[in-house]
Amino acid sequence: MTSSRLSNQNRVTLRRTIITLLFLVAALVIVVGAASLLGSERLPVSNSLCALTTLGARQCGLTSDHFDILFQIRLPRILLAAAVGGSLATAGAGYQALLRNPLAEPYLLGVSNGAAVGTMLALLFFGSLEWSRPLMAFAGALVATFAVYRLARGRVGATPERLILAGVIVTTFLSSIIVFVTTMMDATRIRSFTFWLLGDLSGANTGLLPVPIAVAVVGAIILTLNARSLNLLMLGERDAFDLGVEVSRVRVTIFLIASLLVGSSVAASGSVGYVGLVVPHLTRLSVGSDNRISIPSATLGGALFVIVADTIARTVIAPRELPVGAITALIGAPLFIYLLKRV
Amino acid sequence: MFLNSSRFIKSLSLLLITLFSVAACTRSSAVLNNPSTNTRRITDDAGREVFLPAKVDRVISLAPNLTEIVFAVGAGSSLAGDTTYCDYPVQAKNIEKVGDTQHPNLERIIALKPQVVLVSTASQLEVFTEQLRSHNIAVFVTDPHDLEGVFRSIEQVGQILGYVEQATAVVSSLRARAMAVDNALKQSPRIRTFYQLSAEPLYTAGHDSFVTDLLKRAGADSVTANVPGAWPKYSAEAALAARPDAIILPTGGSMGEGNGTVAKALASSPAAKTGRVYKINDDHLVRPGPRAVDGLEEMARVLHPEVFK
Amino acid sequence: MLLEPGVVTAVIGPNGAGKSTLLRSLNGSLIPNSGTILLNDKSLGKLSRRAIAKQITVVAQEAELRFPITVFEYVLGGRFVWANSTTWGWEGERDLEVAEAVLDETELHELSGRMMNELSGGERQRAVLARALATEAPILLLDEPTANLDLSHQATLLGLVRERCNSRSSSALVITHDINLAAQFADVILLLKGGQVVKTGTTQQVLVPDLLREVFSVDVLVDAHPISGVPRVTPVH
Repeated sequence: MTSSRLSNQNRVTLRRTIITLLFLVAALVIVVGAASLLGSERLPVSNSLCALTTLGARQCGLTSDHFDILFQIRLPRILLAAAVGGSLATAGAGYQALLRNPLAEPYLLGVSNGAAVGTMLALLFFGSLEWSRPLMAFAGALVATFAVYRLARGRVGATPERLILAGVIVTTFLSSIIVFVTTMMDATRIRSFTFWLLGDLSGANTGLLPVPIAVAVVGAIILTLNARSLNLLMLGERDAFDLGVEVSRVRVTIFLIASLLVGSSVAASGSVGYVGLVVPHLTRLSVGSDNRISIPSATLGGALFVIVADTIARTVIAPRELPVGAITALIGAPLFIYLLKRV
Repeated sequence: MFLNSSRFIKSLSLLLITLFSVAACTRSSAVLNNPSTNTRRITDDAGREVFLPAKVDRVISLAPNLTEIVFAVGAGSSLAGDTTYCDYPVQAKNIEKVGDTQHPNLERIIALKPQVVLVSTASQLEVFTEQLRSHNIAVFVTDPHDLEGVFRSIEQVGQILGYVEQATAVVSSLRARAMAVDNALKQSPRIRTFYQLSAEPLYTAGHDSFVTDLLKRAGADSVTANVPGAWPKYSAEAALAARPDAIILPTGGSMGEGNGTVAKALASSPAAKTGRVYKINDDHLVRPGPRAVDGLEEMARVLHPEVFK
Repeated sequence: MLLEPGVVTAVIGPNGAGKSTLLRSLNGSLIPNSGTILLNDKSLGKLSRRAIAKQITVVAQEAELRFPITVFEYVLGGRFVWANSTTWGWEGERDLEVAEAVLDETELHELSGRMMNELSGGERQRAVLARALATEAPILLLDEPTANLDLSHQATLLGLVRERCNSRSSSALVITHDINLAAQFADVILLLKGGQVVKTGTTQQVLVPDLLREVFSVDVLVDAHPISGVPRVTPVH
């Protein structure tokens, strides 16, 4: 009896998951607070903290400019960073579990580029309709996901090599479409576009901010609810089916939700690369590969990662700004090559 | 397991480079074209020594401001090709097009047999110089950072094309107009101004932009005058904190009506609240050519209406 | 053909006879072109995946192990179908108890904290069976479960299946190439050829030389096992 009880103690349990997630939420609150105090303008720390704790209900002696900087510019941007990071990391964790491939990632699979093409087409043809952007991005992400999945599926199934190769093909193909479309655009739009393609969170103060936040939260919950099925699917589809997992339903759900997550974040911020790769890996290393804990941890971890990356992007050469995608890629690309060598 | 991993990493890193490289502006110094047949020597804004034949009568312009300069010095007949953006003066539209500023067609350029290609951004240099040199075509780079730099471009183009007198006349008339603005504004208070190149993302004119000099001459203190670079992306909160008293929106020219509204971060600025937001024809402000002085006069007029009644 | 409680049915036949197709159809992963499969008088096609998995479990020839997992977690995977909303997708006390009991039953207790890929072939196959037993499904489908096992492990595994059928009136369907093993453990034998049932019945009824020659195209000698008395089949060349 004893050895089994022992193994039981190391298990991922609901209790341990809740403790881990509470810890991450606490970390998120602290990082949001810290990032709110950093920026090209220096704000008085104690007054800002006071205003933050009242959620902007009281001005706490801040000048109205400082108050606006805090609540109109910084906080929305930080929230968008959290939503984008959470979405991309959740999508990455979902793709990795479903495709049983540790290298699967929205950016490398071409899904981000699919969403980018969708957003561009929305801007070109329905420029005035803000809502068309996330919808078209979702559609683009879905098409790209489907294309990669079909390309990667050989006779022996989707091996890691095939999948990444298919991702490279789809990515480069979509990149050429992006180049083609930007060439057709006029010069002023090109500048904003090239910046946007690298991932840019400065558009946070728009009315659409609740969309990526809601999508991130709902997406993470739905994926977490499918986590037990994903645990079995990760081991093998045949056995998962035999044990009662509705394989095709779960697969469609994950693909849809992951595309939705990628679509909404790309429409809001462009292609922020590598979040979906770096974060799920780090969370799996630290909390284990049980999706019931690793998926929600990845969501919170992704939010943390992008908030930190964006804080660097907007402070390091202040008052100028870097695209946040440049920072995430700077961290992510070396890690990717390291993981590629280990596969 | 991963047999072809090195090839993989290679192709991936190639992909990453394509995706992430921000167009690098490398300035190769002193790339010479064939000096034996080209007897004249002139130094361009990139610091290169360019060798030219004694008489230049076929030139291609790769930027609208350079096309305007060529016409302004009276050398329009020497213009063998220009870009799709070149729309001023109207004759420029009838010149053979060699693509746009970002993507000129090298074959077309060579086929038109120019002696010189005029280029306005150093980033184009890499692509062309080598290939054009083998066809004995010189590349001349202009990169003005202030109005005097624009005047120098005009004089240099005149020199290259053999229209020195006309160029000198153009410059002295432009300089006189600029001086007139200077004199008129001597006693005027300077106005803290934000130059909004685009709202989302927020771009402005930095230290190296000739627009910053135009603003100074127009009696404005650009709040971004000391930001490094020519056209930096600017922090929204820094823009808010700057509290400009006036905002300039370059818009309404050949680029269309975009950029017609103030960025959200500036919506509560004194400028927006007092209605001191001014739209200026962007063709006068993004093209460092003769019409930059029009832009200067227009900005001076809107910023100091009391002086220019 | 009928699977009855407490009965172990063995399916034998040459390669390509349709043994695996039969098993996959019974499990609902293949949909038959004609004929119906009824589970407790309900058509299999009309039942949800979950409802089927509560009644029918499969023991495959080998475990699918694309990711590392401990034996205990692996066995606990068999409780998937019993997950309900009150436990938020987590295993409850009852699930843990069942897993412990099954590990006792299959004598894997000592190994429950080990990783699946560290086990020997026999141990691993016991874990596969343990997971199937953990589902508590009354119908077990076994797809050549002993193909990769040596003699003693073959007997252990099928002995466990036999025991489960006896103690809980479960029914089992075993696909095997080993006719003698089938004869030893099965109550009923189903002889297949070219997708058709050639004969169903007790071992004595099915394992007769004429039938076997017809199906396997080889002359066989059938005699009685000296100890158990069940038929023993030996090919004659």
